[in-house]
Formats: sequence, structure tokens, C-alpha cells
Amino acid sequence: MYAARAEIVGNVWRLHAQEGDHVAAGDLVAVLETMKMEIPVLAGESGTVRLHVREGQIVQEGDVIAEIA
Amino acid sequence: MTTINTETATSDHRARLAQRRQDRFRHVEPRGRREYTARERAEMLVDAGSFVEMTPMRVDGNGNGAGVVIGWGRVDGRGVVIASHDAAVASGAIGAVMAETIQKAQRFAIDKGYPIVYINDSGGARIHDGILALHGCGEMFALNVLAQKRIPQISLILGPCAGAAAYSPALTDWTIMVREQGQMFLTGPDIVKATTGEDASAEDIGGAQMHTETSGVAHLEVTNEGEAFHATRLLLSYLPSHVGAAMPLVAPRRPDPVAAERLPYVVPDKASVVFDMNKVLDGVLDAGPRLELMPAHAPSVLTLFGHLDGRPVGVLANQPNSRGGVLDAKSSVKAARFIEFCGRFGLPVVTFVDVPGFLPGTVEEGRGVITHGAKLLKAYVETTSPLLTVVVRKAYGGAYIAMGSASLGADYSWAWSGAEIAVMGPGGAVALLHRRALRDADDPEALRDELAAEYRENVARPYVAAEAGILDDVILPEETRDRLVDALATLGFESGADVRR
Repeated sequence: MYAARAEIVGNVWRLHAQEGDHVAAGDLVAVLETMKMEIPVLAGESGTVRLHVREGQIVQEGDVIAEIA
Repeated sequence: MTTINTETATSDHRARLAQRRQDRFRHVEPRGRREYTARERAEMLVDAGSFVEMTPMRVDGNGNGAGVVIGWGRVDGRGVVIASHDAAVASGAIGAVMAETIQKAQRFAIDKGYPIVYINDSGGARIHDGILALHGCGEMFALNVLAQKRIPQISLILGPCAGAAAYSPALTDWTIMVREQGQMFLTGPDIVKATTGEDASAEDIGGAQMHTETSGVAHLEVTNEGEAFHATRLLLSYLPSHVGAAMPLVAPRRPDPVAAERLPYVVPDKASVVFDMNKVLDGVLDAGPRLELMPAHAPSVLTLFGHLDGRPVGVLANQPNSRGGVLDAKSSVKAARFIEFCGRFGLPVVTFVDVPGFLPGTVEEGRGVITHGAKLLKAYVETTSPLLTVVVRKAYGGAYIAMGSASLGADYSWAWSGAEIAVMGPGGAVALLHRRALRDADDPEALRDELAAEYRENVARPYVAAEAGILDDVILPEETRDRLVDALATLGFESGADVRR
């Protein structure tokens, strides 16, 4: 199981993977928006996505965006 | 008869010396992952055959050696002093004699102007020596601080280093740790358990990962002792032997041609899209090895040594690929420390800027981002070595000022033609300046885009700064290297003297 986390506080601008999607390691899972920057959140491993957030939600540094198993 | 006696005596004292020397080459008990003895470590660090041990026969009064091997050798032909803890004697614990011996090496390095490398493998102050051990450690720290004004100090952590053996490295310039072998902590697992109830391993409390990623106490993680020695030699290759000494120049090398060719296309036009700043550095700096320090700690700024036209330079850059390249409390401290070091030894600081600002929020304010950000400002202002700054994309607000601006004393600053410099980004500025117009507009989104474009063109473009004489010029990416090289030549820094004041 891999937890894709927010590396910085921000809001979930766009989800690129949906619940149950299969992603490969290195795929884009979501893009956070913070300070007008688009911060990519990548899948560290390949597997099936379980989302922990929805678009527009504010996340803190270290929060889990998605679990990939 | 007399003659025969003399001859016998001669061979006796030769044999005795041979025996004494052999004793010096005793090997440590293999403990943990340690591979070499204290003396072997010192020999491996320096140029082959160049190590000369100082006071090798010093003893601590209990039939043991001093607990540390000190001496002098060469790295790439230049002198360097070494103090290598002997973990075979009382686990390297620092007693009165050991402290005195380390101080001898420190004084020699400071007086003669040689860098000093501390090879640390010590459990801390030697309990049996009581106050004498504490006093000796304290005097050693005082010399660490004194040495900061004069010579580079590098600490290697090759075993568990507790208490005093952890403080001394913290007073030196750069600390290199071997993964799963070196640890630094004030107190080990037993005392931590007794005090806080935490079940933490030595590696959890003070391993290389803890200190090179989370705490920032150490600056480089390596996988074995040989790599630690290699990294030390590489680090020394960028540094003068002492404050005011000549810079170690190397043969100039053009950047990799492919990287140089791609330079104009590395930075995305859209200010919100991230990229790898290393690709900018690849196209500007000399080809060949660079040494990045603290790569895993506060990675939104890069701190590294490289060469420009064969001259060593310190490079500070935002890294948009990590946390968007923001400045925050940790990255400010990392950057300030690096600039302060470069300034002390006359190394030019080349700053590459693409910064969205200082990170807002209660977490950062709670970490003291104001105080830590101010350290960055102070470091630039106080630095007397050449400061060259290139804004490659955006530089907003206080973070513009903090990243080596002309205001803080940059000798030269340039912006690439696509750069934006302003008090805040277009989005925020338009929302503030045109609040009423946006509220009353039929199509606020369209008006917002229009006003943002206007702001970008009239306020944020680098020509405004260049016309005001604050930027020296607006340049193209492919012109950057030549500008930097020419600028360094005008600042004539290789003398290592204070050239700015």
C-alpha cells in the first residue's frame, strides 16, 4: 500500500485518478493548488486508487490524498 | 667490550620502537558496520601515503592510546588536518587526554590555515574523567567556534556519536553521515525511553535519515565509509584552504551541449507549472561533478557547489519541482546557512530565482518563518563575496527581496525576458486592486483575465525593473552563462579577498 500525500498545504485543484482506477507508478493522481502553483501528486507505486479527498478540499502538509494498493 | 654494548643497545632501541609502532596499528574489534581503524580512516581520506600522524605515542595513563588519531595529510595536493576518533579505546569516549589531543589538531589547523576533518565515532564525554572530560569537551567546542572564522571544518559521522560528540559536529560547517552506521543524538535509546517513554531505536533518534531529511542537523547521507571520504574530498575541492586563501581553480568546461541547447525551453511559460531547476543549472554551469548539500532537507531550495568557467561557486536556487519552490522556515534556514558559509570563504553566490513567495499559514508562522526568513535577508546583506542573481521566471513579494535581490546587495542581477517581478502575482493583485470593478462586472471572469494580462504586461514585466535600474539587464536564457562568467571576471574574486567593500 502506498499513500500519496500532500507535500504542502493547499487545495485539491484537480483529481486525475478516480476511485477504483488503476494507476502505474509515476502516474499523476492529483494536482494541488497552492500560492498559484500547480503541485503534482504522483503515484509512488502501481495499484488501485482509493481517494481520501474531493476536489476543492483544503489539505494540510502530510495529508493522504489517495491510497494506492 | 664497550663497543659491543653500544651495538646491542642500538638494536634494542630500534626493536623497541618497532614494537611501539606495531602497537599503533592494532585493529578495532569489528563492531557494527565499522570497516576500518581510526588510523586507516585517516589514511584513506588523504592522498595515498601522505598521512603523517602527530603525537602517535600519546597515552591516557591507563595503558591506552589517546583515543584519537590526529595528523596531517594532503587532499589533491593541498594540506588538511585530521582528527579521527579511535572507537577501540573506551568506545571513543572523550576523556581529558583525548580532548587535549583533538585541541592540538584544531590549533595546528587554525594556526597554519588548513581545513580540518573530524572523523567522529564516539560515545561522548568519558564518564571516569568527570569534570576534566567536560572541560576538555568545552574547550574543543570553543576551538570549533574560533575555527569558523578561519578554516573549513567538515565532520564525518561513522559511528554512534552521543552528547559532546554530536555537539562538536554541529559547530562545524558540513556534516556527512554514513547510513545505518553513523548516528548523532544528545541521549541514546535508554535515556530517551526513561525520560519520554518512547521506544525509539538509535537510528530513529539520530540516524542519517532523521538528520539529513527531517532535522537538517547533517548535510549529506552516504552509504559507506569510502563514499564518505570521497564526498569529503569532493567538498574540499570547491573550498579555499582558509579565509583569504586562493580559490582552487579547475580547467573550465562548457556545459553539456544538449543541456545548453535546451536551456531556452526548460522553464514553462505558464508561471504555475513546475519544472526541474537542475535542468537550468545543467545548461549554465560547467559540466562535471556538482555537489548538492542537504538534498533531502527543505528541498524547495537547492544548495550546491559547482564551477563557472573553472571557478568554484556556491549556487542557491528555488526548486519548483519540490513544494513549488516556496520559501518557508526550513528552506530559509538552509539557504541562509549556505550563503553565510560561502560569504565566509569568499565563494561567489549565484542565485537562480523562481519563487511564488513565502508560504503562508499558522503552521509556518508557528515555526517562526519571520525570524528564519529574516536570517536569509541578513545572510545576503552581510555577505562580502560576489553575489550574482538571475530571475528565471517569477519573483513575488518578500521572496523576491529575499532571493538575492539588488536591494540586498547583489553585485549583478538579471531577469530572463519571460520573468515576472512584482509585489504579488497577477491573480492576487487584480483581486485587491479591482475589487469593486470585479464585483460590478457583468462577466467578472473575463474582466479578471483581462486585468491580469494588463498587470502582467504593465507592472510585472522585468522591463519595469530594468528601466528603474534595479535589474542590470533583461537577458535570454542562452546568454546567462556568458553574463555570469564575465561578471565574475569583473569582480576578480579569485584573490579570495573582500572584493565588494
